[in-house]
Amino acid sequence: MSPYPTDLADAARSAPATPPSTRGDEAGAGTAAPVRRVPTFCYQCVAGPDLLTVKVEDGVATEVEPNFCAAEVHPGGGKVCVKAFGLIQKTYNPNRVLAPMKRTNPRKGRDEDPGFVEISWDEAMSTIAGRLNSLRAEGLLDASGYPRLAASFGGGGTPQFYMGTFPAFLAAWGPVDMGFGSGQGVKCYHSEHLYGELWHRAFIVAADTPSCNYLISCGNNIEAAGGVVGVWRHSKARVRGIKRVQVEPHLSVTGACSAQWVPIRPKTDAAFLYALIHVMLHEAPREQLDLPHLARHTNSPYLVGPHGYFLRDRASRKPLVWDEDAGRAAAHDAPGVREALGARVQVDAIEIGADDEVLAEGLLDGQTAFDRLVAHMAPYTPEWAEGICDVPAATMRRIAREYLDHACVGQTVEIDGRRMPYRPVAVTLGKTVNNGWGGYDCCWARTLLATLVGALEVPGGTIGTTVRLVRPMAERHDSVKPGPDGFMDYPFNPTSRADWSARPNIRNAYKTLVPLTGNNAWAQALGPTHFSWMFLDETPKGLPKVEPPDVWFVYRTNPAISFWDTPGVGEKIARFPFVVAFAYTRDESNHYADILLPDATDLEGLQLLRLAATKYQEQFWDHEGFALRQPAVAARGQARDFTDICTELAQRCGLLERYNAAINRGTCGVALKGEHGDFSLEPSRPHTREAIWDAACKAASAELSDGAEVLGLDWWKAHGFKTRPFPRERWYLYPTLVERGLRFEMPYQERLQRVGEELGRRLHECGMHWWDRQLGEYQALPPWKDFPALWEQRVVALGGQPADYPFWLVTARSMQYAWGGNAGVQLMREVAGNVAGHGGVVMNPAAAARLGIEDGDRVEIATPQRATHGQVVLRQGIRPDTLLLVGQFDHWITPLAKDFGMPSLNALAEMSLELTDATGSGADLVRVRVRKAPGRGAP
Amino acid sequence: MTRWAMVADLRRCVGCQTCTAACKHANATPPGVQWRRVLDMEFGEFPDVQRVFVPVGCQHCDEPPCLDVCPTTATRKRADGIVTIDYDLCIGCAYCAVACPYQARYKTERRSFAYGRASEHEQARFDPDRLAVATKCTFCVDRIDAGLARGQTPGVDPEATPACVNACIAEALSFGDADDPESRVSRLLETHQHFRMHEELGTGPGFHYLWDRADDAPPPPGEDSR
Repeated sequence: MSPYPTDLADAARSAPATPPSTRGDEAGAGTAAPVRRVPTFCYQCVAGPDLLTVKVEDGVATEVEPNFCAAEVHPGGGKVCVKAFGLIQKTYNPNRVLAPMKRTNPRKGRDEDPGFVEISWDEAMSTIAGRLNSLRAEGLLDASGYPRLAASFGGGGTPQFYMGTFPAFLAAWGPVDMGFGSGQGVKCYHSEHLYGELWHRAFIVAADTPSCNYLISCGNNIEAAGGVVGVWRHSKARVRGIKRVQVEPHLSVTGACSAQWVPIRPKTDAAFLYALIHVMLHEAPREQLDLPHLARHTNSPYLVGPHGYFLRDRASRKPLVWDEDAGRAAAHDAPGVREALGARVQVDAIEIGADDEVLAEGLLDGQTAFDRLVAHMAPYTPEWAEGICDVPAATMRRIAREYLDHACVGQTVEIDGRRMPYRPVAVTLGKTVNNGWGGYDCCWARTLLATLVGALEVPGGTIGTTVRLVRPMAERHDSVKPGPDGFMDYPFNPTSRADWSARPNIRNAYKTLVPLTGNNAWAQALGPTHFSWMFLDETPKGLPKVEPPDVWFVYRTNPAISFWDTPGVGEKIARFPFVVAFAYTRDESNHYADILLPDATDLEGLQLLRLAATKYQEQFWDHEGFALRQPAVAARGQARDFTDICTELAQRCGLLERYNAAINRGTCGVALKGEHGDFSLEPSRPHTREAIWDAACKAASAELSDGAEVLGLDWWKAHGFKTRPFPRERWYLYPTLVERGLRFEMPYQERLQRVGEELGRRLHECGMHWWDRQLGEYQALPPWKDFPALWEQRVVALGGQPADYPFWLVTARSMQYAWGGNAGVQLMREVAGNVAGHGGVVMNPAAAARLGIEDGDRVEIATPQRATHGQVVLRQGIRPDTLLLVGQFDHWITPLAKDFGMPSLNALAEMSLELTDATGSGADLVRVRVRKAPGRGAP
Repeated sequence: MTRWAMVADLRRCVGCQTCTAACKHANATPPGVQWRRVLDMEFGEFPDVQRVFVPVGCQHCDEPPCLDVCPTTATRKRADGIVTIDYDLCIGCAYCAVACPYQARYKTERRSFAYGRASEHEQARFDPDRLAVATKCTFCVDRIDAGLARGQTPGVDPEATPACVNACIAEALSFGDADDPESRVSRLLETHQHFRMHEELGTGPGFHYLWDRADDAPPPPGEDSR
């Protein structure tokens, strides 16, 4: 039971049409209320939304508190993350940009004063619309075929929850390049996004923490990145008795709260995971695996031919399995077949490779995918891995056996009246494990660990959250559609000769290079987003030359701080001819802007948000619904609501009808016309933000109540949110796959192998060989590669010797800052200071002593080409060969943050084709040296 | 009798500082003043290292060392265990800050604000009585007293509960009457192994730290499946 009063929670859930009279009015109903509590939400990071109330005294916001009314429906007890407590200061920060401004110095550069001067909104909008209308007149694409308008957003998609109707404006506009990254691909969980969606509709992969008993976490910093729900659930799980093994080079806050810390050498996690799989396949009793699951619900029994492709029925071209009962081959979906998990047989079949080429036909040797897997993993003993990971073989062996012992193979549990497998073991991966070279191998190994014991997408196991690449986005289960060979369909970008996209639609060429991204609006940010920046210097052979966009919108992101090669990014932004920055304060990216626009910030704006039911991180809810972000206080200065800005811009650009039509069809989160009512906006005229979101509120409440209730903006302002129950069984994809007769596409990656082969052919046909190393990653069963050596090779390429750069520089999320764009908020700086690592570079004392470095010393951290400086923080919880820089700082113009003296990995990390993997991702990892620098303490 | 007490479950705390921030909101403390904060502590040597997060603040001791040294009787202890400071009596000598073994007391000599000059919300809540006097965690005594007056139960009803407890996202902090055997804090203490900080000093802190389940304890109350 919740300790909080439930009357208002009940009201919000059951939706009375009349707001409670005492809500937010401590002075009594019907009188002027000097103190109000305004319900709203915080979605500054991907682990939101947090439902909160803002205490407003005489019109001044003074306190943030949890929305106690949400305790019953929110999976984190209705609590609020530390970042949300910064919102008051964020509102009243005297460093805010509070009026439109224009640049008066035409020269752009870090050392150039932009000469920003205040202008009217009318002048700002006229200038912007003038530019945009010129683009429309000249053509939406440049000479290379790239969109002339570009837009960048940060925070893992969370700016969408603050940008009002901007998505509708962009939809009305036409082609927009949203591929200039601000950290996407290197700061997210990139490989997991792509492979996770392919294998189990898991844009994010999580443990089913409420039911999990044994969790292997390779660098997944869930206590810092999982938000309120993550912390809440893991706290409960610890008290309940979960054993979490944290495998990472430094002892993060998550490691601190884990049962065991395994200090692994950076970028060797694949070897660690392979050793676990080896133990499970070669040392443990075979019956500890979920053999019926492997045979029935995976591609383990598919017969693989001599060329590594499935053997297929000659007529139907369906993959074949060996039917143990009949003693002959049969199509994988033949009724009554009893698939052999292990078999080496000769069968009459056809083997088809890339581009539908028949590789072999007739009586062919076949071996089950499972047998191939067993042979593939044979070399990867714990003793082999020990030399790579610097983790004792006995530790790995014990972890593998504990994982098996906790898997409860054969057990079931009832969820919402449905009996499901119960497998309370999971494996999660952190961002640097997920990103860059080795990401594929780790994601595959992680998914395989779950598959082997039947723990994928079942209670207690490894499960996925939302989908972003596969449609529809609102519901994972609806995206489970039959595809080829008995697997789920997946929207690969075409690699066939007829349909491959030789001419990229945007500058980072995701559609050309990365079939796994698919091609919806999210795909642009899930390609190699650093290529947009890199190709400005040199566009590789075969791609149309990349030039800066004519107009670039930038909102809630600061790529000149948050991406790699931060000096280089800044220099490239300086080349952009016209930059419109929605500016909270001055920062390192809007330093190069032509126009600064002050938008209403978190506590000032109005927007409806779809809540739950399963979202990023551990946001699995037992409810779903909507929440309203509303002005707790009036917008300060001349700040304007984003929706109003968009409407005016649409009008000035002659796009009003298309803009309204986009809103009507649901571009901003809820379709205004549906089976439960028509709340559409009249398309030919502009609407106020209140009118727009009132319509959205009505449509949302109609949707939630199946048309029974239509509740307007006033109701939502009073209550803040409204939900309905969401069945927990929908957290798990397994029953849906079974119902639809589909198998998990594990362990054998025949489809990826084919896609990679075809992609290589297409590229080579166009004379493009610079992506060959990446093509090598498309392997049906990935072998271990020496991933750390790739970083050592880069040291040589940059003119150094690996021995001279002996440290691995890594980074870690800070709960106080992650995704928040709140480095300029003093409260965050103050409270984050209590957490080790926020004051400088974390270093092992023994390693420091060998270099004569003491706690607090100022040091230089350098690659062969670059150097940065900071203060040393000595901690025992880090490997002697590793350095840690928490968060992303190194600001030089953002007020307050520029005085931190805190270095950043981003200043040292290079954007490099060599360190980009096949998914277009790179890892937050740099080989560096460290030495004492003159002076002591922060500069 | 009533003995208000705080319980911090060290298995749960993740050092996120949400309690720290919530306290600063609720009590409008100036920059650098943290009546509630969480220490980030390390024990051992690589690779055998443990990192622990420990919420700290005024321990509201049975025998407060700060009280004994106060020359003006500004520091007092209520019958319910809450140690208070009367700003009208405090002369800012800081003896108490020196005497407190928990480093829980602060003294701010001059007005200070997040960005130099007072922002609107800081202006609205600035309290000149807190300048040049000792300040510390009050267990949000105003909320407790007002809540009790409304018939609410501190530690149960949010309006009557310290802000840090309300805010804790790990359910690490609990508050209540240690003399009430039915209170959550009493049940937690009964079912868990626990300690108090610097107990050897004889201060009798009202702040308890849980570190493991008692050997024969049943599952904790109030757990749900979220």
